[in-house]
Amino acid sequence: MPDIIVCFKWVIDEAYIRTGSSGALDFRSVNYKLSDYDRNAIEAAVRLKEECGGTVTAVTVGTPGATKGLKDALSRGPDKACFVNDQSFDNLEPSQTAAILTDVIKGRLEYDLIICGEGSSDLYAQQVGPRLAEALGIPCVSFVQKLSIDGNRIIAERKVEEGINIMAAQLPALVTVVPDINNPRIPGVKDTLMASKKEVISVTADDLPATYEPALQTVSMTAASMERNCITFPADQAGIQAFVEALAKEGVLR
Amino acid sequence: MAGIWIFAESLEQTKELLSIGSTLASKLGTMTSVFLQGNTGVADDYIACGADEVLVLTALAEDQPLDAYIPVIAAEAQTADPDIFLIAATVRGKDIAARLAARLKTGLCSECIGLKADENDRTIEMERFAYGGAAIQTVVCSTRPVMVTIIPRTFEAAARQSDRKGTIRELPAAPPSASTVLERKPKETEAKDISESRIVVCAGRGIEKKEDLSLVQELAAALGGEIGCTRPISEESHWLPEDLCIGISGISVKPALYIGLGVSGQVQHITGIRDAKVICAVNKDENAPIFGASDYGIVGDLYDVAPKLSDAVKNMKG
Ligand SMILES: Cc1cc2nc3c(=O)[nH]c(=O)nc-3n(C[C@H](O)[C@H](O)[C@H](O)COP(=O)(O)OP(=O)(O)OC[C@H]3O[C@@H](n4cnc5c(N)ncnc54)[C@H](O)[C@@H]3O)c2cc1C
Ligand SMILES: Nc1ncnc2c1ncn2[C@@H]1O[C@H](COP(=O)(O)O)[C@@H](O)[C@H]1O
Repeated sequence: MPDIIVCFKWVIDEAYIRTGSSGALDFRSVNYKLSDYDRNAIEAAVRLKEECGGTVTAVTVGTPGATKGLKDALSRGPDKACFVNDQSFDNLEPSQTAAILTDVIKGRLEYDLIICGEGSSDLYAQQVGPRLAEALGIPCVSFVQKLSIDGNRIIAERKVEEGINIMAAQLPALVTVVPDINNPRIPGVKDTLMASKKEVISVTADDLPATYEPALQTVSMTAASMERNCITFPADQAGIQAFVEALAKEGVLR
Repeated sequence: MAGIWIFAESLEQTKELLSIGSTLASKLGTMTSVFLQGNTGVADDYIACGADEVLVLTALAEDQPLDAYIPVIAAEAQTADPDIFLIAATVRGKDIAARLAARLKTGLCSECIGLKADENDRTIEMERFAYGGAAIQTVVCSTRPVMVTIIPRTFEAAARQSDRKGTIRELPAAPPSASTVLERKPKETEAKDISESRIVVCAGRGIEKKEDLSLVQELAAALGGEIGCTRPISEESHWLPEDLCIGISGISVKPALYIGLGVSGQVQHITGIRDAKVICAVNKDENAPIFGASDYGIVGDLYDVAPKLSDAVKNMKG
């Protein structure tokens, strides 16, 4: 019966990011969310548990403000969570996140399988999973769209450019999953209530053996804006005619 | 030792990385080394396109995945100490890059879309998308080597030059891998490449049934264009092949005209159409974000509008 760790990130919902008048990003009215593909990662972990038994531990690294994320993650089925939090764990770059996760998992958490998302919704670096596997010295199968456990090994369908590779790896192993792997369940009221009763292990920077320096420095983060006409027409005959004439004028109807 | 290193899966990708690598190498006064898998026949091509050194990786066993090369490349990097390592951002390339970066304890800029080197302080500024494409993040790397994956077809491919000379060196065989490939299945459907199409009509989730894609097809035919789609259409409904999915995790298009039918216009999708000349949308929700990213839009039900639009286009073109 496998012990599964699933790694998730609590991120800014990009749909709420505005562009200020100077072209700078405006984060004032943002909301946070569970990183999209981490919902698939959690669902994959919980489904494996439903099939094979075992346990699911959800792990996240973030600032103390990410508590809401724990409840969201736990309402999706994991047994317990590990909250690695510190005021300084903000805007981490992937090498730092992977190093922190490595130190937290080593010695503290039992695992046969670790599941990560393909990439996080904010950075989409697609690094934390493979880096973590290397640091722990376990096999890694990334971009997995179908996953099962077969005795002592995993069988994973990996999505590659030219098709699918069916992979096998000995446990313990790490996989990163693509969104095609499942349709995450939508937690109900009962799930949310149960989530608040589940165990949360808190780990802070003081409990960790190292300080984690970034290898990548962000020099700037600017809005990728686009100037467009933003003219709309009604759906009546005159509107459609005016629309087609506008296209003709642009010279794109040849 | 130092230098610019290049790893890609195909000749085409390698040539693209060689054009970036050669520019960096001449700016930084160093040389370019390229990894080559198996087929030594193309080593001379690589040299002609700018490689100073070709490092030949021994062919893998049938069931070995490409990441079996990681220990060989890492060992080589530990002795050669390269400045920069460029890798094509394919599925396997991204995986290998992240794992090598972990072994070499260095930073990695994923899915880079632009980079520039400063000759004086030798820093490399690298640009990439963040927040689903809403932002452009510029990063520098303070550890060695500076690792970067480059989205294929972002840069020009290197051209052959005459009289270039280079060395060829064989690397040791890869050790047995921790994971094995049990089976390789090719894609069931091969889709058309629409990345260079002049007109693209895009199907979004506003399309209710697979049969209704005919509305999109008819408009595309009237305009003389091709059809593309959003991610839910290819990856959730599987109505169209993934090669037609436009956006940050799909392809980028740069047509003269893009028309989205029932597309909401989330940033991850819009990122793939930024270089379109004219962007248009048909959506029944006047507040859909796509109207903010469009030049011209029609607020209405696509089931009503699309056929009329196809007719109006046909009339206009005569
Ligand atoms: C990390 C990440 C990467 C992603 N990468 C991509 C990507 O590369 N490409 C991509 O496309 N998406 C991508 N997505 C998903 C993206 O965020 C959106 O969910 C997706 O683009 C929405 O597709 P849609 O517009 O077809 O569907 P919806 O958002 O559901 O929009 C449907 C629209 O149709 C309209 N509509 C409905 N019925 C009608 C009708 N009868 N007539 C007219 N209009 C109608 C609705 O008003 C609505 O605006 C990614 C997401 C994440 C998290
Ligand atoms: N702060 C974090 N805490 C826990 N897991 C994370 C964190 N950041 C990233 N991950 C995991 O790593 C995956 C890839 O993230 P990234 O490398 O940022 O694209 C995510 O889908 C998560 O599973």
